[in-house]
Amino acid sequence: MAADEPEDLNCRNASRLLSLACERPLNAEELRALKHHLDECLMCTNFEQQLNFLHKASRVFRTG
Amino acid sequence: MPRASATDPRFAEIESHRPYLVRYALAQLRDGELAEEAVQEALVAALESIDGFDKRSTLRTWLTSILRFKVIDLQRRLVADRARTQYDEATVGAEHEAWLDEMFDDTGHWRSPPQAWNDPEAALEQSRFWEVFERCLGRLSSTGGRVFFKREVLGEETDVICRDEGITQSNCWVMLHRARIALRMCLEQSWFGTEAPRGR
Repeated sequence: MAADEPEDLNCRNASRLLSLACERPLNAEELRALKHHLDECLMCTNFEQQLNFLHKASRVFRTG
Repeated sequence: MPRASATDPRFAEIESHRPYLVRYALAQLRDGELAEEAVQEALVAALESIDGFDKRSTLRTWLTSILRFKVIDLQRRLVADRARTQYDEATVGAEHEAWLDEMFDDTGHWRSPPQAWNDPEAALEQSRFWEVFERCLGRLSSTGGRVFFKREVLGEETDVICRDEGITQSNCWVMLHRARIALRMCLEQSWFGTEAPRGR
């Protein structure tokens, strides 16, 4: 699932990569494009932190 | 639905785990009625054998282990039906893009931008948060909720989930992505949005 705009990710594609990173390691190009986007986008940075939180909360949810 | 002896003082404590157990059963059985049936049988069995519960495990872990056996019983009935579930790759993909069109504008920007959440760790300690979390999980689509539950709550590997669900890997990723966006939005609206500072 390569990004459509490797040079200039928009939030739609950046969020897709952030979610994809939970499933498989991103390749170098994906990582570079994502980092470039996150450096400038607070909204997607928030989204990244929320994904981490969802992951953690789900595990806590399991153990009760 | 009949409830196990409601006069037992331990009933309420056991009963409080029902939503989690239903989700667990649903993740395995993929059928709401069967899941309820498995949980009901498990809770009745739990009440009958509560004296055998030793405190070395949490109540939830103990209940889950009982439920697991009930689920295996019911799964035998489902084996014949497994192959019937088929998802059309193109249909799922197109439907997902249409859903994302509602989340992002024409330039690919968030229509409802994720905010900075205030001290999310603290939420994990609050029982009211878990009610909200449960409710938000319940609002996911049945397939999406099930895939998310298997992936994030049960920690199953994605390729195992895809195989069990009979869906392609890319459809699996699509469903997880959508579930995460929907869940984060629900939590922001129902919990964090009411107290979090508006970071933008």
